[in-house]
Amino acid sequence: MSFNDRLTASYSGGRGPLFGLALRTALLTLLTLGIYRFWAKARIRKYIWSSIRLGSDTLEYTGTGLEKFLGFLVAVVVLAVYLGLVQLVLFYFGLHFVIEPQTEAEILMQMSFFYLSFFALVPLMLFARYRARRYMLARTRFRGIRFGMDKAAWGYVWRAIGHGILTFLSLGLLLPRQTFWLEKYKTDRSHYGDTRFVQGGKWTALYPAMRGYFLGIALLVASIAYIAMSGLGSADRIALVQFFPLGFIAVFGFGFVYYRVHSYRYLTTQKTLAGAVGFLALPRTGRVLGIYIVGALVVGLVVSVLFGVIGGVVAVSVAAAENGATPGVGSVLVIAALYLVALAMLGALALVFIIQPVIAHFTETMTVLNPAALDAVRQRAHDAGADAEGFAEALDLGAAV
Amino acid sequence: MKGPEGPVEAAFFDGMTARRWAARIAPARDGLSLVILREGAAPLSWRFDRLRALADQSDATRLTLTVLAETEDEAPRDPARLVVTDPAAVAWLLRTRPGLMRRDLRAGTFRKVALWLGGAVAAVVVMLYVILPGLADYLAERLPRETEVAFGRSVMRQVEWMVSDENGADLACTDAEGLAALEAMKTRLVGGRDLGYEIELRVFDHEMVNAFAAPGGQIVLFRGLIDEAENAEEVAAVLGHEIGHVVARDPIRLTLRAAGSTGILSLILGDVTGGTVIAAAGEHVLQTAYTREAEAAADDFAYGLLNEAGISTAPMAGFFDRIAKMTDLLPEYLSSHPLSAGRAEAARMNAAAHTATAPVLNAAEWQALRGICKD
Repeated sequence: MSFNDRLTASYSGGRGPLFGLALRTALLTLLTLGIYRFWAKARIRKYIWSSIRLGSDTLEYTGTGLEKFLGFLVAVVVLAVYLGLVQLVLFYFGLHFVIEPQTEAEILMQMSFFYLSFFALVPLMLFARYRARRYMLARTRFRGIRFGMDKAAWGYVWRAIGHGILTFLSLGLLLPRQTFWLEKYKTDRSHYGDTRFVQGGKWTALYPAMRGYFLGIALLVASIAYIAMSGLGSADRIALVQFFPLGFIAVFGFGFVYYRVHSYRYLTTQKTLAGAVGFLALPRTGRVLGIYIVGALVVGLVVSVLFGVIGGVVAVSVAAAENGATPGVGSVLVIAALYLVALAMLGALALVFIIQPVIAHFTETMTVLNPAALDAVRQRAHDAGADAEGFAEALDLGAAV
Repeated sequence: MKGPEGPVEAAFFDGMTARRWAARIAPARDGLSLVILREGAAPLSWRFDRLRALADQSDATRLTLTVLAETEDEAPRDPARLVVTDPAAVAWLLRTRPGLMRRDLRAGTFRKVALWLGGAVAAVVVMLYVILPGLADYLAERLPRETEVAFGRSVMRQVEWMVSDENGADLACTDAEGLAALEAMKTRLVGGRDLGYEIELRVFDHEMVNAFAAPGGQIVLFRGLIDEAENAEEVAAVLGHEIGHVVARDPIRLTLRAAGSTGILSLILGDVTGGTVIAAAGEHVLQTAYTREAEAAADDFAYGLLNEAGISTAPMAGFFDRIAKMTDLLPEYLSSHPLSAGRAEAARMNAAAHTATAPVLNAAEWQALRGICKD
């Protein structure tokens, strides 16, 4: 196979049009008490997919709001029965282990015990995550040909639980193993048309991506050692320790993004389409972090101005009410409307200033090797899509878009 | 694309392979369809009235066309795609073909949505109002009493811990004479009868006019209730009512039911923007507390205790009359308790039938009880 021939992807979406679409659909979602959100999601995905371009061809998203709504209804019924029964029965059996708590710690422990039924949800969440990816692929087309994924969600569930336990027991040291084998499970079951994706590579090659985490741990150990060994007084020590949470978040936040970006780089570069088409992914941690930080600042600024305006309107109408004027229905309606618009703006701004730039960055750093081999790919059958992400939607696992 | 400039270039994907075909498109001679010509393939003809374009696309300079077709796909569309980038052709298509953006719902879509929506709502309602309460009752009957008592103590510990102030001092009132008066009231009410539970009483130093029973015989009165009461008989009536809940195992039923139903509401309403308010309102209607039947049964139990102990229920009527002004703002179906006006009437009728009564506490004891939180 010749990988000399290559084609870099590009992203053509704009801020203005996406913001308009997101704001319009968010307002419709509010007006319909949330029902329109399925259509909103489908429309935003259509926009973003159509912005991702390889050569002169774009992706196409074909999912519909209607099928997502129906899938959600199914998921809600299944989850209502499952959650209701499982939580009640678990709680009932949990009651048998209750002892009268003596210390505050025991009280806290016992209170948290009753939230353990959360773990009954974990298999369903993993199931929902696989199903959501399968649905997303089944509704993505390129050059008229469908992507797709095998029906293998339960195999993913028990593997993900097993790997999760191993990673937990190894204090995170086996995270690369988990990342690699779960990605391989999903990739090896993914298709473009009649052609299968193959995940190559080995899990130990993901350790360099852990650098950020290792750096964080080293810094943590070093600073604890420094504080312990230095001749600082206890007041100074306490003053230093106060910076720990902030430093912790900064260092591990960096480690997290670094790992996500670099494990994605390696895993994508090791993927092929049946050995004939290869990929090269070079996203950068600094750029992703930069997008998040600048985006968060912009969104925070705009939203605080908006809420400032709302606060001003509230203050004016309160002052008017104190002066004896009856607070008009009008001013209450204006405040409520402003509040809802501000909420809708928040989501739309985050989409335009954070999510879209990140997608654009990942797209523009992706190269397809030997794209000529794509011509030989043939169509695959339609996948009904089962619950159309209904479970993911009901369990709040919704992807960023 | 029509007119002197002749056919225009376009990209065609046949929906069977990923090959990109160079195509030339032009309207047919009769003007009813679009003809797609390719090298090495037979010409295709797409009828204009069945021609559709993809919506919400990011690039306004290109138009991706497909054709209405009865397929098993998510939308009734042919898998083939025609991408038109010629500006004049795009403008001409958008201007002269208003049907391009039509949605084309399949026949019976509305019926299907209505059926599924109705089915889902019915299933959730049956779950919340029939299956979960039924199962909660069934399990509550079978829960060993020791377990219920241990759980009740654990709940009380948590409540005390949560309401204690930052100095760790809890709200429980500790005046020795007041506690003795409370104990005297309990003994007078319960006497030697075996309720199946050891009743443990506490008063919390809080202005709320309320009382509640935790599972397994733990009962809490709030200071506000004792302040609001004009005599000991009114407090005794409330106490009898709460004992009624304990004996009927209402608190553990409610707890079990809530364990099953809390997740469900947030599941349905949770992620609607601003939906927390709706979820909270829904939760209120769902479980303001016990069912009205349970409340009525607790009232009846209280009358039984009071009558047998020879305590008058006439003051209870006065108490209900006074709190009716506060509580009867909500219509009865929204409120867990029966309307206070009706309860006052019942208390009066009961008092008329049982006239041989003696005070529940003497004047000194009543004063001591009123001062239970003075420490």
